[in-house]
Amino acid sequence: MAEYVDAGHAVDWASLSGVVGSAPPAVQNVTYERILRARSEPQNWLTYYGAYDGQRYSPLEQINTGNVRRLSPAWVFQCGPTGLEAGASTYAWEAAPVVVDGVMYVTGWDGWAWALDAVTGQELWRYKHATPFDTSLCCGNVNRGVAVAQGKVFVVSPNAHVLALDAVTGKRVWDKTNGDVRAGESATLAPLIVKDMVIVGSSGGEFGVRGHLDAFDLETGERRWRTYTVPKPGEPGSETWPADGEAWARGGGNPWITPTYDPELNLLYFGTGNPAPDFDGEVRPGDNLYTDCVVAVNPDNGQMRWHYQHNPHDLWDYDSISENILFDLDGRKLMGHFNKNGYAYVLDRTDGSVVRVFPFVDRITWGEVDPTGKITVKVYPDKEGDPVHFWPGPGGGKEWTHAAYSPRTQLFYVPVQDVGATATRRRREFKESIPYWGAGVAVDSENMAGSVSAFDPATGREVWRWRNEVPMCASVLATGGDLVFAGEPSGEFNALNARTGELLWRFQCGSGHHSSPTTYSVGGRQYIAVPTGWGGWIEGFAPGMLAGTHGAALFVFALPE
Amino acid sequence: MGPGVKSMTSTADERSAALSDIGLDRQNGATLGRLLANGNIARAEELPDGRMRATIRIKPDELIWDPSVLVLPHGGDLDLELVNDDLNTHCALLPSNGDSQFIWLVNHSRGTASLNLDGPGYYWFGSPTGNDEGRGLTGAIVVLGEVPPEARLDRPAQPRP
Repeated sequence: MAEYVDAGHAVDWASLSGVVGSAPPAVQNVTYERILRARSEPQNWLTYYGAYDGQRYSPLEQINTGNVRRLSPAWVFQCGPTGLEAGASTYAWEAAPVVVDGVMYVTGWDGWAWALDAVTGQELWRYKHATPFDTSLCCGNVNRGVAVAQGKVFVVSPNAHVLALDAVTGKRVWDKTNGDVRAGESATLAPLIVKDMVIVGSSGGEFGVRGHLDAFDLETGERRWRTYTVPKPGEPGSETWPADGEAWARGGGNPWITPTYDPELNLLYFGTGNPAPDFDGEVRPGDNLYTDCVVAVNPDNGQMRWHYQHNPHDLWDYDSISENILFDLDGRKLMGHFNKNGYAYVLDRTDGSVVRVFPFVDRITWGEVDPTGKITVKVYPDKEGDPVHFWPGPGGGKEWTHAAYSPRTQLFYVPVQDVGATATRRRREFKESIPYWGAGVAVDSENMAGSVSAFDPATGREVWRWRNEVPMCASVLATGGDLVFAGEPSGEFNALNARTGELLWRFQCGSGHHSSPTTYSVGGRQYIAVPTGWGGWIEGFAPGMLAGTHGAALFVFALPE
Repeated sequence: MGPGVKSMTSTADERSAALSDIGLDRQNGATLGRLLANGNIARAEELPDGRMRATIRIKPDELIWDPSVLVLPHGGDLDLELVNDDLNTHCALLPSNGDSQFIWLVNHSRGTASLNLDGPGYYWFGSPTGNDEGRGLTGAIVVLGEVPPEARLDRPAQPRP
């Protein structure tokens, strides 16, 4: 028998591509102090929301209401998978591209991260974390982006690792396991840098886990603290859980979206997720703190300073995970939050006291919340096997996709989902790693609507509404050019007049939007970046669009040179 | 229903017999190719330093990895030998943290790969040329074990399925 041919040693898959292999050291000098003043360098999008306040606003104004009609694609980056991957039918491209001095850092799903030339789209490096095919993913294979600082790019992986990558090479610097995949935990959010720490939160609330926030030393990966969002017996808040049994141990409350941060108050504002089981409240009598809350956390030690619970004893899967946008009004330090339950909350961010509550979606039938926050519950899945219909459905009047606030117009811009659902309570025994919902749920695939709606937080008044036939399920972006960018489930990327809601420009991207567009400039030219790739928990927020085209492309737009 | 095929299988032997009887365990039997991940199962060898090693072969004219399910005792580093005993050219795209690893495997060739994988969970690997993956050259690497203690939830042990 002939000798075997020597096939050599396997090589990196990326070595068989045009990838450059390294990026300029743009992140080397990104410090906490620079992130604090992120809006003073509007050419960059330094952190997930653009700045700690979560406003998703950029002062860039080169692209404006007068010229946006000329906006055109500058480049496209595509990334279809090779081989089998987890959640192949449910991936979505949900990230917010971060840009530093002409280098873009963006994640995909399934453990992907890239550095791209922000002017040309050339792939500078790629990182792929091997993701177990059997990872528990309640709502799709997704990731929302990176944090960058001090020469590193920080990401989480679907199997709940927290990773620091070298920003020049894309190679791993440190890697910490931060969740138990056998319990159904995962990780999806973009980390946040605060001081010398990487702040993250956990995912997995549909599997009956116990939510937690975590901080790691950004240089070494050493854990600084972990704070659980459901108290153990005897801890503050434990009186809101059954005294006997282990409901608390399966209580959910996962903070699966990036927090905002007020450096003057030294408070992180995390939203927490639904209690588990989502719809069967009888097994967890009580308010179930700290689920469905905004929790104000001292980043130095992880201790909660105050909390406000939007949905005590939630029975509709109304996570409060969505962003708390920090803004000031009449000398008060406030925050705005658009809850899944269909109500907007303006709170005093120093102590969590209510300033005003108002509805932001037309159909709300689960109950009512008065302007002071007082709740009157009307319908919920209370009897075993008895279908109950309610608006908004469990995807919420707005889910995780982010609103924006423009300090120029002093308005909030909100992507609205007007979709109902029917839940039928079905009690089930808890088993670790098995979905723990306590109901069968069918979200309406007809009789749905959506909008981008503008609200005045001083009054709660709706100033304008741009209507859509289907829900709006992507983050919006507000700019100094008085524009609001908003993507549709059917692929259109729109620019609206921030003062009137008039549609000024539109481009069909070929796949639906479920991500967070950002903006930046290089060499004096402003760009708008938006990942497209329709997927995720579509059956939860827009099942009428479940078969929308499933693409994977990052579009970047600019005015013609 | 053909001879020897029952409406339900209850033992490994019966399942194996059913696959064979129906023709799912070979090329161009019942299906055009071979049903995935129904080949042999083997455990990787663990070395004293915790590294693991194993050999995976491609059998002649079967388009099957042997083993097609490789079991690792824990996450970590795996040194893999890949041998193509087939009379056609294939390749391997293998999961690994950092980037997937790729190697061409021409007829009657031998190569190596170094993989780093987390546990627990399982990962697919395949031969991404033509439709090798659909014909049968799709395998799985299974990683046993638990996550590190510091990553576990602070709660009493919970019932598992």
